[in-house]
Amino acid sequence: MKIVDLMLKIDRRIIYLILAIVVILPLIIPSAQHVRVMAPVQKLYTAVDTIHPDKALMIDFDYDPQTQPELEPMALAILRHAFKKKIKILGLSLYVQPLGLAKAALDQVTGEINALAKTNSDSVIYGRDYVFLGWQPPPIVPILGMGESITNVYKKDFYGNQTDTLPLMKQIKNYNNVELLISISSGDPPLWWVSYAQNRFGLRVGVGCTAVSASDYYPYLQTGQFSGLMVGMKGAAEYEELVEKDLNIHKRRKASEALPSLTYAHLVMIVFIIIGNIGYFIKRRQK
Amino acid sequence: MQRTFPLILCFIFGILGIIPFIVPHPVVQHTDEFLRNDLLRILAAFALVLGLGSLLRVHFDKIQHRRENWQYSWVLLITFFLTSIIGLFGGVAGTGPLPTRIGNFSFDIQTIYLNVEVPLGATMFALLSFFMASAAYRSFRARSTEATLLLLAAFIVMIGILPLGNQISPHLPSFAQWIMDVPNVAGKRGIAFGIALGSLATALKILLGIERSWLGGGE
Repeated sequence: MKIVDLMLKIDRRIIYLILAIVVILPLIIPSAQHVRVMAPVQKLYTAVDTIHPDKALMIDFDYDPQTQPELEPMALAILRHAFKKKIKILGLSLYVQPLGLAKAALDQVTGEINALAKTNSDSVIYGRDYVFLGWQPPPIVPILGMGESITNVYKKDFYGNQTDTLPLMKQIKNYNNVELLISISSGDPPLWWVSYAQNRFGLRVGVGCTAVSASDYYPYLQTGQFSGLMVGMKGAAEYEELVEKDLNIHKRRKASEALPSLTYAHLVMIVFIIIGNIGYFIKRRQK
Repeated sequence: MQRTFPLILCFIFGILGIIPFIVPHPVVQHTDEFLRNDLLRILAAFALVLGLGSLLRVHFDKIQHRRENWQYSWVLLITFFLTSIIGLFGGVAGTGPLPTRIGNFSFDIQTIYLNVEVPLGATMFALLSFFMASAAYRSFRARSTEATLLLLAAFIVMIGILPLGNQISPHLPSFAQWIMDVPNVAGKRGIAFGIALGSLATALKILLGIERSWLGGGE
């Protein structure tokens, strides 16, 4: 009887403590786990990989500090992939909060590439190879406006430069020159891109999202409205796997390193749920 | 007039929002472009001022009347003005007219963001996992067939998406993916249709002035 009560009423502090241990310990000694790449991530990778050299990849960085651990590895992996393949990139955020993280991700990857570059053409140069457009409120305005003219919507970039003076923006006028948009987001922006940019201008949309919002997005993947889908830490780890194997880029794989923590956390939650259910069934039988 | 004028505005601008999706004529498209790129952004700027003004008023009022936890309002106000001044005059990375570096110590807006907002935001969200674990343990009970199915599906997806799932059986990740691709999509699509039809009906009611609760006044 006492054991059953214990099973049903484990002190929440014990749950917190065990969870904290299993999450923190693997992060102290990180080791990247290899994962099996599933179809939604493979589709997204192929969509980026096959972007025409004359067209650009637009990345909507819409993650904030709360979802940074899940979504930032996606942004880093996509940036490494695109820059390696010499794909032109336009970055932007639909909200103000992610701007700092977007800048940090762009700075990190361009810094990595430029540190190894031997010639000017190996380097990634702002204005020539990529532009960070910044933020324009409210979100729907830039989504619709860029269908006609990107430089009309973003007259100045994040750093205050006139966008129409940047060499890249002379080639990339509107969505006709953008082959794919990837929305890395913890909220609704992927759906806005489909509703407004895809339905009206035919823009292809790929998505990187948090695990909790993934179930909302699978219908769009099935219909082909999303050109690929990267879900949570596992999705980011899959993209990292592809970038490392296919492109031979060996950088720190944050998402792959976080997978042991995620594995143990899931197992702990499953064990606690099973304990609770065993206690519940014994109690019910006793009644 | 106080109620009629907003209703007329709502109707006109609602219709103007729909027409460009149907009529490709340049006049319509240019009008739409002007409305979105100029008018809407001006309105958004006003909304921002209104929101910030309202936020400041609430907190000044809280301090003035010594309401509960009024001390925290000082934290908000001081950080608000401090970061606003640094952001407005210091530039994104210390490139503005305001100096944002004392020796090796820099306090430009990007540094503040990365060293204050990022850890605070991440900490707040990290706490959620502990509450979720505790809540899952207390509430996930196989009380009925439906609840048991839900529980099993959750276990399969939770393990199947991890590398561990592939080690247990190579079919487990595929099965987890199938759960997301088929039963999940079927359910979500049904919900999406319901929401879309509901949104359409509500939008029509608002545009035609049948639904007026957004005007306030409790009519």
